[in-house]
Amino acid sequence: MFKWSIIFENLPFLLAGAWTTLSLTVVSMIFATVAGLLVGLLNMFGGRVVGAITRFYIEVVRGTPALLLVLLVYYALPIIGVNLPQFPAAAVSLAVCYAAYIAEVFRAAVESIPKGQSEAAFSLGMNRAQALRHVILPQTFRRVLPPLANEFAALIKDTSLVAFISMEDLLFKAKIIGARTYNIMSPLIGAALIYLIMTTPVMQWSRSLEKKVE
Amino acid sequence: MADDMMAQGKLLVVDDLHKSFGSLEVIKGVSFDMDFKERLVLMGPSGSGKSTLVRCINWIEPPSAGRVTFDGKLVESGKYDIRRLREDIGMVFQQFNVFPHLTALQNVALGPVVVKKTARKEAEAEAMELLTKVGLSHRADHKPAQMSGGEQQRVAIARALAMHPKLMLFDEPTSSIDVELIHEVLDVMVRLADEGMTMIVVTHEMGFAKEVADRVIFMDQGLIIESGSPAEIFEHPQQERTLSFLSKVLLA
Repeated sequence: MFKWSIIFENLPFLLAGAWTTLSLTVVSMIFATVAGLLVGLLNMFGGRVVGAITRFYIEVVRGTPALLLVLLVYYALPIIGVNLPQFPAAAVSLAVCYAAYIAEVFRAAVESIPKGQSEAAFSLGMNRAQALRHVILPQTFRRVLPPLANEFAALIKDTSLVAFISMEDLLFKAKIIGARTYNIMSPLIGAALIYLIMTTPVMQWSRSLEKKVE
Repeated sequence: MADDMMAQGKLLVVDDLHKSFGSLEVIKGVSFDMDFKERLVLMGPSGSGKSTLVRCINWIEPPSAGRVTFDGKLVESGKYDIRRLREDIGMVFQQFNVFPHLTALQNVALGPVVVKKTARKEAEAEAMELLTKVGLSHRADHKPAQMSGGEQQRVAIARALAMHPKLMLFDEPTSSIDVELIHEVLDVMVRLADEGMTMIVVTHEMGFAKEVADRVIFMDQGLIIESGSPAEIFEHPQQERTLSFLSKVLLA
């Protein structure tokens, strides 16, 4: 049965897992955002070949489970001599996965800017890079924040996949407590509450930003 | 050789220009030329190709065929690249297209800073002069969202002027502006014309055309139907299509 006492007694243990979850989320998100912006721009402006390659990458990632990527990086890459410790392996696989989604976020934002804006920039003599940097991207900034916040919240949840490579994140710690106390319900509900504490403010923030943009 | 000789003394020579979108030919072979300081008004019913024509002149729409010679240089001949051409030609759009994330002052200074590598301070000082010229010095720190259509369009004019263009293209500059604010934009354009700016204006403003234009070109279905002085076109149109268009505009 559910017991609050089990959660409270093991709270430091759970919070250590939450810290792993949060730091993994932040590190992965930073890499995913930078890579996603790059992939998105290459996809839109890189020409036919680069555009096709990046499109292939985006579609492969979107069409396969994130867990597969996590397992691939941690268990399969060592076969070809790439040995990554747990945390970097987890961060790399989540970043590679989320970069594809974030590339689509940036593409949608750039495409939502009226064509007249780039025409005005070009009419002043700007090249494409100048128009992007000074006219288009600054305008996308406010539009990408709400969907990026959504991706961040989704990433907090998806970090639980690293339990499959035995990383002691929040979910994994909850399972350990469950095995130790013969009570799996209590630590899982405790973990759920901690996940909610992390994701809810992010999603609220995203929603209020969305209202502001409108 | 003969063509180059012809281009001498002309700011702009458009020769047999065609433009197609897919299988739809919007401009079906248009030729005209312009002297320095000449003021040209382009008129015609919607779909006549007049907007597309001005957008072809600075390659915002690349022409499908034909030759454009600007300031004695054949465009896209390798001697003269498109970005240089655009630096020399200012454009004012129907929808203003001012940059919403920048203040009026930053809008005007951006071109010189980014394209001409002018020092920001210097560019902003000149931007302030240009805003004063279009009557908006008091709005320098406002963003477009806080301004009326007439004000935004005047910012757009100042932004184009900041590049010191040799030719200004106006693509229906007053069509999206509330009627009671149109005059503030037209006033700025008249003043520009008085100062000797070479300009092509796509507009249905007959009053402006009569006051300012050296020549009026009437287009329909992708072709120039006739051209002449405002008096010739408005009072003695030779073509049936011009007459029927003018009667509709005058009734409106």
